[in-house]
Amino acid sequence: MFSTKEILLTDPTTSTEGAGVERQTMNVDVVCVGFGPAMGGFLTTLSRALSDPAAASAFQSAAMPGMPPQVLCYERAEDLGFGVSGVVTRARGIRQTFPDLDPSQIPMATPVGDEKVLYLFDPVGASRRSAGLKVADRLAKTFKFLLKYDLDAIEIPFTPEFLHKKGGLVLSIGQFNQWVGAQVMGSGAVQVWPGTPVSKALVEGKQVVGVRLLDQGTDKQGRPEAGFMPGMDVRAPLTVVGDGPVGPVGRQLDEELGMPDGHHRRDWAVGCKMVVSLRDDVDLKPGTVLHTFGYPEPEIFGFMYVHPDRMASVGIFVPSWMDSPVRTSYRYLQHYMMHPYLWRYLKGGTLRSWGAKTLLESGMRGEPQLAGDGWARIGEGSGSTNVLTGSGVDEAWSTGVQLAEGVLQLWKEGKPFTRENLDATYVARRRASWVEAEGKVAEKSRDGFQRGMVTGLLGMAIAGVTGGKINLGPEPVAPHERIPSLADYYAGRIAPEELERIQKESAARGVPLHEALMDRAGWPAIPYDGQLLVSHQDALLMGGKVQAPGGFADHVVFTRPELCKDCGEKICISVCSGQAITLGEGSVPAFDREKCVHCGACLWNCSQPLEKGSERTNVEFRAGAGGLHSAQN
Amino acid sequence: METILVLAYTESDGSLAKAGLEAVGAGVELAKALGGKLAVGLFGADVQSAAQAVAGCGAEKLLSVTGPDFASARYATDAAAAEALCKAAGATLVIGAAGSRMARVLPGVTHRLGGQVDTHVSCVAVEGGKPVAARWFYRQRIEAKLARQHRPWVLLLDPGSHAPWKGEGAKVAFTAVPVTLSEGAKRTRVTGVKAPQADQQTIRPDAKLLFVAGAGWTKKQADGQPHMAEAEKQILGFLRASQASLGTSKSLADLAGEGQAVLGFMSHLNQVGQTGSTPRHPKGLATCCHGEEPHVVGWRFINERRAVNLDPNCGWARGKADVLYVADAFAVMSKMTELLEKNAGK
Amino acid sequence: MSTGYQIVVCGSIVPDPLQSLEPIAGPTGPALKNELMLPAVIDPWAGHALYEAANLAAKNPGSKVWLVSLGPKAKLQQVMMAVGQKVPFELVALDGPAGGFTDAHEVAAKLADAIKAIPGLDRSKLLVFGGWESASRGAGATLQLVGERLEICDQFQGVDQVSAVEGGLEILERVEGGKHQVSVCAGPPAVLGWATGSLGEPRNNPQVGMANMRTIMPALQRATAAAVGIGGIQYQSVALPTQQRVTRIVKDVPADEIARELVEWISQD
Repeated sequence: MFSTKEILLTDPTTSTEGAGVERQTMNVDVVCVGFGPAMGGFLTTLSRALSDPAAASAFQSAAMPGMPPQVLCYERAEDLGFGVSGVVTRARGIRQTFPDLDPSQIPMATPVGDEKVLYLFDPVGASRRSAGLKVADRLAKTFKFLLKYDLDAIEIPFTPEFLHKKGGLVLSIGQFNQWVGAQVMGSGAVQVWPGTPVSKALVEGKQVVGVRLLDQGTDKQGRPEAGFMPGMDVRAPLTVVGDGPVGPVGRQLDEELGMPDGHHRRDWAVGCKMVVSLRDDVDLKPGTVLHTFGYPEPEIFGFMYVHPDRMASVGIFVPSWMDSPVRTSYRYLQHYMMHPYLWRYLKGGTLRSWGAKTLLESGMRGEPQLAGDGWARIGEGSGSTNVLTGSGVDEAWSTGVQLAEGVLQLWKEGKPFTRENLDATYVARRRASWVEAEGKVAEKSRDGFQRGMVTGLLGMAIAGVTGGKINLGPEPVAPHERIPSLADYYAGRIAPEELERIQKESAARGVPLHEALMDRAGWPAIPYDGQLLVSHQDALLMGGKVQAPGGFADHVVFTRPELCKDCGEKICISVCSGQAITLGEGSVPAFDREKCVHCGACLWNCSQPLEKGSERTNVEFRAGAGGLHSAQN
Repeated sequence: METILVLAYTESDGSLAKAGLEAVGAGVELAKALGGKLAVGLFGADVQSAAQAVAGCGAEKLLSVTGPDFASARYATDAAAAEALCKAAGATLVIGAAGSRMARVLPGVTHRLGGQVDTHVSCVAVEGGKPVAARWFYRQRIEAKLARQHRPWVLLLDPGSHAPWKGEGAKVAFTAVPVTLSEGAKRTRVTGVKAPQADQQTIRPDAKLLFVAGAGWTKKQADGQPHMAEAEKQILGFLRASQASLGTSKSLADLAGEGQAVLGFMSHLNQVGQTGSTPRHPKGLATCCHGEEPHVVGWRFINERRAVNLDPNCGWARGKADVLYVADAFAVMSKMTELLEKNAGK
Repeated sequence: MSTGYQIVVCGSIVPDPLQSLEPIAGPTGPALKNELMLPAVIDPWAGHALYEAANLAAKNPGSKVWLVSLGPKAKLQQVMMAVGQKVPFELVALDGPAGGFTDAHEVAAKLADAIKAIPGLDRSKLLVFGGWESASRGAGATLQLVGERLEICDQFQGVDQVSAVEGGLEILERVEGGKHQVSVCAGPPAVLGWATGSLGEPRNNPQVGMANMRTIMPALQRATAAAVGIGGIQYQSVALPTQQRVTRIVKDVPADEIARELVEWISQD
């Protein structure tokens, strides 16, 4: 188990920590961190029970005697709608909570219709395909009359059952979260406060006694300024942490209280997507689900889901096992959309919203401690995502429901929120559920990707078919251990002198290195049309609003500047979803809060471990205010 | 038959400002097109100097409410005056002259008349024998044309919505309309006008050029450093030399508002678009400004637009400006100032 | 003499300014496409009015602030989550449309009725605040109509500052040319339509939020239906203006040359 407290150095937030800063305290019954599907499940279940008139006697507030339990949820984003997908889910857990769920009540929701899995060929000729894959491509094209070939893609005729979401829903996570949030708030039984980031959990020994909200009115380094308002301490017998795969509070608990033995988080992806308004003549039925692989790079999976009213979500996932030191998402997304098979639907469309998000693909191996004295973890940050089926929303929701049931049980029995009691109620329910059972099947199913795309796909198929008993591939290594240097990556393709020249030129012209290298690799320039194909910065503006309320510290920090000095790759710059990280003065990248969409990709992409052998990288992703909120997300 | 009343106030010297003459112009045209009667109602300290300005407009009634009580722009007294004028004229359509003094009272007066009001009217026309008004919604992002059956219908014009009337012929005489003010009408006293120091006044509504300085002026430049002092010098220098009016985008105005060490002469009053203004100038030059929609809607009434920005893909590039110069504003502005000063010195 | 003001702020919601807006023909008149899906914020000037109200209330013990808001209940709830942690206030919610195409006269009637129904309202302490216009209808009429219905004839628009002075309240209103007119009003009742005021946006304060929530949620649950529509307006056309410019992009030209071209352009008439 790692504890890296000793390694933490210049932590500006600690400058307001013991310095005699007076903080207000508030006492509540349950304090929650983050509002997503997991917290939605938790608060829906809890608020229903608390809204039941018979509950009045059963549930009493310990914090405010005479009142019903005070349940408060703090969410960083300015609105509850932050969410990047475009999600397709079997919605089993969700339907259990809402048995009469009518998709037409939730904007952009629709039942799953036609599902297809497609292998996309490379019409541009710039993607890095292995020799073997190239041969396979050629063969496939030769025999395309035998295969379901259409516009540079083949439909995979036989896809395993576990990949399908028959009977499920195509949703917009943003709309779904808003819908759940409105119901939960409307009950009056719980409070949800957006725009209020939680800085850290308050840990006393092994117990969590509450949370501390983020200081407001500071400069970018976190030092108090005019209008300084120290973050309040909200103390509660139970702290529920559902802050997602890169949430700072979850990671703080991992660091301070440790991850279970042998557990680690080494498999990630950054998802980048758009919501597009389709042309009038596009004839795609709502509920159509397309999953693709093979383009723009073999490692990149993509999707397109069709919502009602001529809207579609389209996106790609750039994984941590794609070993490019200049891996990036936005431009690849644009090339993806222009693939002939998809472009016939997307051409002439209008960008409605855009966003990016980190996905934790480590599955059960990435599961942290689920509960402890005074705290519990739910959702994607607790490793609930099923990495075989690629589904997380329903699983997250279900863990939230499981915790709520545990909490209600403990309240009824008048028992405290100790590790033992939470284990016996919440964790037990979770272990006994389909989330666990199916998660175990998925546990090692992705290991094959560590060796490459083909091994990975084979491995997934075998794992799925054998119920997880047989898996291909080695245990993953930390992403930063896999990254080749620029010279190595381009060995045999671009001479080192040319590489150096490209680096110098792009730095001088202010053009990002990954753009210059993609150009050089043969990726054509994007033909901007001002409507769907727009520059990265325009997507940030057109695709929603990036909030960066003033008075908060920068939340992306490069812990040890000297490590950046020696870093040749600076993948953080290439992969930053919002171009918020750029070449700065000297060697440390510069961070612009006003462009950060809080995807967290920088955190796991950094190629420099904080210390030799450390799982942590040199990038800290702290609590921060703001982010991206899109209208039709 | 409609009775169209042009309602305006006189300036402190008794004259009619441009906005008033625009209202007269609109009223005259409307009366002609509708075959209706025209009346003119003025209020203020005194209306004598306005008499020449409205000559020849063909108004059947020329009414006024004057006196020391009506000198200041005060709701209670202005509303009483306007109400009296409208009732005395028997107006079915009221065309209110643009300006803050009229905007303050006209909707309230409409209520007293039992009428209905539309403000910020950019254009009044006659279609199918009926008056139709155009106005903007959602901060100049949506334009609508509308009509009302209800009378009286009060329309408050926006500046520049019509050609101003040019008085011709014999001076006219106004008939005073008596107004009894209630006790409560003088609870408010106007004590004066506060203006920024003459050399710090950066808002010039009559300037030929709107100069917008965007957030890019305060960001790090090519050398990785921000150059605030230089930015301030450039912007103020250009303003002095060009006598342009200064505008900014919300992001920069917000920074200034938070007391950050940004350009000290910038305030919310300079903001164009979003919660700011929609100024009217024949030309506009945007510098270091991305040109996103909420700001650009504030440019609705700027005819010729050019922008200087290092980003060739900024919003101005696509149809929001006539010309985009991809260049460093620091360099361009300093040279422009130099040239303007040289031309002035000639 | 008792101190304290009763400050009633009228304000509703508008779509977040960075969203794309498109008009459509709805069943009861023009509306925005996906209006209920667009993220909403409190109208910016109404927001300023609310914060100024809270500021004034804080300086005058015994004061109280209400927010009277007419909008779709679900959207009001969303916006309250954002505004509810900023300043203390009591919500009076009316459930109805908040779009810009509704008639100001109908809205004002409902708001005035709601204000009159506030228990314990005292004219001698009453200040009605609001934005001088909204970011939706942008008329600058509603607040005045409310004031007239409440028979208040001391009204101010484009207010940026109010302070207590000898003799009453000194109020600064924006007038032409970037200037402010200074007036002194003997005191309440008065109507103030705010521009941006002089305060920044308050920080989120969880304790304020907790206290506000005790009245906000019940107020929303109690919200009476306020059917407002386009009233006497006959919309003949509602459209997005077309962008007709074709931008000429000038690249790789020295700054000196660009400056010369621009100076020439400015100097032409």
